[in-house]
Amino acid sequence: MIMEKNRVLSAGPVAAGRRSFLKQLGDGFGACALTALLHSEAVRASDSTMDTTTKDERGQSRFPHHAAKAKSVIQIFCPGGLSHVDTWDYRPELTRLHGKPFDSELGKQTFAGIAGEYAKSFWDFSQHGQCGRWMSSLFPQLAKHVDDMAFIYSMQNKSALHGPAMFMMNSGFVRPGFPSMGSWVTYGLGSENENLPAFVVLPDTRGLPPGGVLNWNSGFLPAVHQGTVLSTTANMPPIANLFPRKGREVELEHDGLAFLKTINQQHASTRQGDSMLEARIASYELAARLQLSAPEAVDLSSESGSTHQRYCLDDEDIGPFGRQCLLARRMVERGVRFVQIFCGAENTSSKKIRPNWDSHEDIVRDHGYWGRILDTGASALLEDLKQRGLLDSTLVICTSEFGRQPFMQGKQKGRDHNPGVFTAWMSGGGTQGGTSYGSSDDVGFKALDKPTYSYDLHATALHLLGIDHERLSVYHDGIQRRLTDVHGNVLKEIIHS
Amino acid sequence: MYRTNAFFRFFITLLIGAAVPFILAIDILVADEDVAVDGSITSDAFFEREIRPFLKKHCVQCHGKEKQASGLRLDARSFAFRGGDSGPVLVPNQSHASELWLRIQSEDDSLRMPPEGEPLSSQEKELIRDWIDRGAPWIESDEDRQAMTDPRREHWAWKRIASVAPPAPTVPEVSEFPLRNTIDRFVLSKLAEQGLQPSPEADRRTLIRRLSFDLLGLPPTPDQVAAFELDTDPLAYEKLVDRMLESPQYGERAAQHWLDISHFADTHGFERDQIREHAWRYRDWVIRALNEDMPYDRFVRLQIAGDAMEPDNPQAVIATGFLAAGPWDFVGQVETPSPVLRRLARADDLDDMLTQVLTATCAVTINCARCHDHKLDPISQKEYYSLASVFAGTKRGNRSVSQAESTKLAEARNQLSSDIQELKRKLQESKLPNWDLADIVGGGNGLKTGQANQSIDPATGQVLIEYRGFLENAMPNRFMESPLKIIDGVAIPDGGELGNVTVSSTGLVAQNIARTSGKSWDAIRNGPVHSQFSNKLAGLDVGDGSHSVLGMHSNSLVTFDLTELPNLSPEISPINEGLRLRGSLGYFGQTPKNGASVLVLVDGSTAFRRERLGRDDGISDLDIVLPKGSRFLTLMVTDLDQDISHDQVCFINCRLEATQAIDPEVENAERERVASIQARIADLEKQIASLVEVDQVYAVQSETPPAVQILARGDTEQGRDEVTPSSLECLEGLGNFSLEASASDLSRRLALSDWITDTANPLFKRVIVNRLWQQHFGQGIVATPSDFGLGGALPTHPELLDWLANDFHEKRYSLKAMHRLICCSSTYRQQSILDSQLPSHAKSTAVDANNRWLWRQNAFKLDAESTRDAVLAVSGQLEPSMFGPGFREFDYKEEYAPVYSYVTRNDREANRRSIYRFRVRTTPNPWLTSLDCPNSANFTPTRFVTTTALQSLALLNHDFVLQQSENLANRISSLHDVPKDQIAVAWSLVFSRKPSELEMRASEELIGKHGLSTFCRYLLNSNEFVSID
Repeated sequence: MIMEKNRVLSAGPVAAGRRSFLKQLGDGFGACALTALLHSEAVRASDSTMDTTTKDERGQSRFPHHAAKAKSVIQIFCPGGLSHVDTWDYRPELTRLHGKPFDSELGKQTFAGIAGEYAKSFWDFSQHGQCGRWMSSLFPQLAKHVDDMAFIYSMQNKSALHGPAMFMMNSGFVRPGFPSMGSWVTYGLGSENENLPAFVVLPDTRGLPPGGVLNWNSGFLPAVHQGTVLSTTANMPPIANLFPRKGREVELEHDGLAFLKTINQQHASTRQGDSMLEARIASYELAARLQLSAPEAVDLSSESGSTHQRYCLDDEDIGPFGRQCLLARRMVERGVRFVQIFCGAENTSSKKIRPNWDSHEDIVRDHGYWGRILDTGASALLEDLKQRGLLDSTLVICTSEFGRQPFMQGKQKGRDHNPGVFTAWMSGGGTQGGTSYGSSDDVGFKALDKPTYSYDLHATALHLLGIDHERLSVYHDGIQRRLTDVHGNVLKEIIHS
Repeated sequence: MYRTNAFFRFFITLLIGAAVPFILAIDILVADEDVAVDGSITSDAFFEREIRPFLKKHCVQCHGKEKQASGLRLDARSFAFRGGDSGPVLVPNQSHASELWLRIQSEDDSLRMPPEGEPLSSQEKELIRDWIDRGAPWIESDEDRQAMTDPRREHWAWKRIASVAPPAPTVPEVSEFPLRNTIDRFVLSKLAEQGLQPSPEADRRTLIRRLSFDLLGLPPTPDQVAAFELDTDPLAYEKLVDRMLESPQYGERAAQHWLDISHFADTHGFERDQIREHAWRYRDWVIRALNEDMPYDRFVRLQIAGDAMEPDNPQAVIATGFLAAGPWDFVGQVETPSPVLRRLARADDLDDMLTQVLTATCAVTINCARCHDHKLDPISQKEYYSLASVFAGTKRGNRSVSQAESTKLAEARNQLSSDIQELKRKLQESKLPNWDLADIVGGGNGLKTGQANQSIDPATGQVLIEYRGFLENAMPNRFMESPLKIIDGVAIPDGGELGNVTVSSTGLVAQNIARTSGKSWDAIRNGPVHSQFSNKLAGLDVGDGSHSVLGMHSNSLVTFDLTELPNLSPEISPINEGLRLRGSLGYFGQTPKNGASVLVLVDGSTAFRRERLGRDDGISDLDIVLPKGSRFLTLMVTDLDQDISHDQVCFINCRLEATQAIDPEVENAERERVASIQARIADLEKQIASLVEVDQVYAVQSETPPAVQILARGDTEQGRDEVTPSSLECLEGLGNFSLEASASDLSRRLALSDWITDTANPLFKRVIVNRLWQQHFGQGIVATPSDFGLGGALPTHPELLDWLANDFHEKRYSLKAMHRLICCSSTYRQQSILDSQLPSHAKSTAVDANNRWLWRQNAFKLDAESTRDAVLAVSGQLEPSMFGPGFREFDYKEEYAPVYSYVTRNDREANRRSIYRFRVRTTPNPWLTSLDCPNSANFTPTRFVTTTALQSLALLNHDFVLQQSENLANRISSLHDVPKDQIAVAWSLVFSRKPSELEMRASEELIGKHGLSTFCRYLLNSNEFVSID
């Protein structure tokens, strides 16, 4: 069994009960906390939830599989489709072909319409850093960090639709219902902070990304592994239900919890060894601690003025994303295992500027707007992590669900979806800055050298966390499921040796 | 248990496996005799000594059990003589015609076998030639037979259900565990095997709570508990079970289990998670079917093929909502013009449908064979596609619940329509100089001859019937001519920098037009535009049938060519005399102010202008005298270069009149004639409007099934061999069905439903009785209820499982009978609490901590829906009304992707049971989600139970709990004034018992300090409330 289902299987003796007790709480945000609570031996989360069937053929299933380079992950997701040819991926051939009709044997029919003419990047490219990396002028501040960034230029997606493509980048499958990367990671590694969730999601203040909560769903892993959404709007309680909406009354809560403990203990006294009952009693104590730790974690008043400036928190447009990035740094500092930041929300039909990177009709307007946001927040984050010595143990991943076409969408001023190739980058956490993997073709239409999918990116991230992606698996409905399906290679080229 | 079975299996192997080679063997035996005469060895020994080792050494690695290169196997006699994909490889006595010999002796590296390693020695080659030329003697041995069997096919689940006799009660019966029914005999016998002892029966209060939550998902009322505790009838318990099974709340509870495995929701899911208005009818069908105890085989058959079985029975049609219950990708299936993406989305759709049907009914993980043969179970990729082809013509969508009713309705509508057409034809003969603009947009001549709601696409000028939303990729400022004679053309205006917009086919340019967003919505319509916010404005209802409505949405313009107006007598030609435009207009969107601007132009010059119209501006009158000789009349609606949402403008009763009338007498007579025809038309249209629509359900639509190919690696762009509908081969005793490629969608699904529900199907009955078992004991006899394959769990009580399956058959597939049987067993009635006083419990815990052998009942935690329903039940707010559209706990915002924002309601409709909630696939109720409510993107055969701090916060602080605590407090205080009495009644409502001294004191203290409502809030958070013994 993976977890107790439906019925709680009460165990009798205390020794057996404790294991079961931990199991009941799930791992991640819970098991470790409880471990501390009971002053018992350190039990890795995975020990308590791994199904016996999840052991690999070699009988080795305990994590980490090897020494970890990264302790935590910050994933910056740019939904809508970030145009690689205007940003990370320098394609000089496009300048030559600019204005010429796109003609491909593969057909001109793309996601939304007919291919128009080739268009060179709307931003000039130049070389940066010791490594001489080409990057466009859309990201002037990130360009200063190229020696700390490793690029994957040959990413592909199996879908050209936002929803399925988002699911693939987050869970390895285009269909909904599979556990997200953050869920797998916390399932394997648990949390390092007993008072905060192990997997935190920081959505754009404009709303959830395409596909909504399914992007951080735990699928067939226990629900405790789904991402916990932290409100990114300033002055809002960070976690849903942290306090009653009308405000809290401290004395009332104190007396109420005391009463609850009294009747729960009375009830449990005739049901000794029922792990669920014990776990529930403990969970109310954990909740009380969360009420203290969560507001502290999102309280930015203790941050210095220069930090506020660095993340541009006061800027109406780019401040909210700066806040998300700063919150991510604070989460990682406090031992949160996986933080997912969304730089953009779901599409709408009525806004002047698109609420995400999906620049079909006006790429200068939309990428121009979002570029400034990503550039400021992400560069501040890298700089901040580095200064604090956190970058070595924090893997930063920046990706989109697909790229955009090297040609205009019909007669419009934007570009259509391109799942054929796009760029992702990683920084810190054991990656080797200044390196790259794979390439697109001359114009950025398809992946050419070492084409790759989310599988390799996920395998690499897990590797850096000390996990062999082939051995982090769960049997579900007839098959041993993993984040990387039946694929995945660790991209050694971009790892610090 | 399989002893009887094994005999039959052996017999069958003999018949089908051995008969054919046996006949062949006779030939070879003759040849063998020659050999025996010539040489000193017998052929048998020769083959076994020389040839088999050769084949094993050089061939079998690629042509054996693990791998069958070119479809060839050389590890068993019958395989070897059958040959490979390109035909036989062994021709006895003819080495020159035997591919086996030709390939090993070939000089060509691309042909030579074996392909790798050292070439064969000439001695080895000669050995093979010699053997073939001597007739290739090969007598089937045990080794051959062994190679031919697939051990995976011996898996217990594929085998026939055994007819099992219950174990004799050899075990001494324990007084507190009477053998109430056969279940107890099986369980007790297993317990005895393990040296375990059963637990005594739980007390009555525990039993009624357990039963009530199990069967109804609700707590018992204090009265019910008291009555049961005092009932002296020896059959009091059995009668209680019966009453519960007869309760309508049983179906509401049982339906949730079935909806879990059909991943039902009221929206599509994926990126554009749109609403399925009619999905709820299927949910209601499930509740009704379970309440009336529909036999399970019929229950399943209707859900797969109800529309084929009983097309005129609305309930049978609704049942097929099962097939449509899962997610569906609007963007991939409809919106994208890319055929590759559409194929991919459709393949995923088919996979979801097939997986749902096979896992729900047979616990076969068919989806694992989509990209390759199943890695664990004996299911081939070909079988996957053969089964998938059953649904090749099955599409999800809204449909009428009764074809017959729909046909009747269509006939009535057609009759009325044709009558109207006839009247309109008469109108066309009118000479009356009065032209309605909306009617012209609808394709008419201005005298109500047009089609209601017909429209013109402002982007293309094409005539459209259907409604559309946001016009993706529409280009502004392209004047498109219209095929309608009186309409010169249309466009999406954008004044841009210069303010110029072309408004006629002759190139007239209007000036000073404002900049716009250049976007548009729906069309220019003879009626309101799509999703118009309201038909009412400032006390006027334009939808009441007495008004003509020309609906436009920013940004759009339409130009009328007045020279094309029909029926103009020479003396009132507009060119000569001029016309007058009269009517009114208003902004019918939601925006109160600054919504859109309206312009009327005559020959490109502004004749009327209303800027920044909003809802608050009400109705404006329009009265424009057109100059003599005017030709082009243009109506234009623009946004304010902000956004286009809700910019819905209606031109009401706008008509052109001749400024100078013809002979008044002639005109009056004509006016009367027209009025009377128009009155008759109005009457007929009223009749059409009053026709009652046939109910719709979100279910399946049949199409002609396209050919289905095996897809290499599951890739839709790599089609291989075509397949036709058929089923799995691995199920013992169950015949396969096989249909022609020409078989209709209905006949395919009918065949599948027959096959699944065939009494010989070993899985169908086992799977459902196991699910029922799981509902009552927390885990199934097979712990993986949707996976009975080799990767799934083994049954703990295989004999009991088969006995239950047979009993279920004997009970005519009555689910209620099985519930009754299980709930009435002593096994079910055991206490769940560990009793340290019982020495047997300490021992049992040591032997079987997880209670797989059921030496006690398992306590359970309420699932999310039961928690919510129980809170409402004890607070007295549970609204018992059944059926109908789901209640919505969110604000809905129509957007490119709809936005669902949850709110906490506290009204009767929203306080219905959770089964009636509207399920949003991408945005499920976050409170329920935190309590482990599964997401309907997934199949959920077993629910997770977790305990987290976030759950505690959800139960402590969410508005719902706070409101219901208040309601519970009010309920209690309305019953009693004295705190002690209030506490006692709270305890009986929430826990079905009296409080102890300690509990009473603690309660009094809390109430004294913080009031009743706080007390109730913490009661609802207690372990005893959510944990059921």
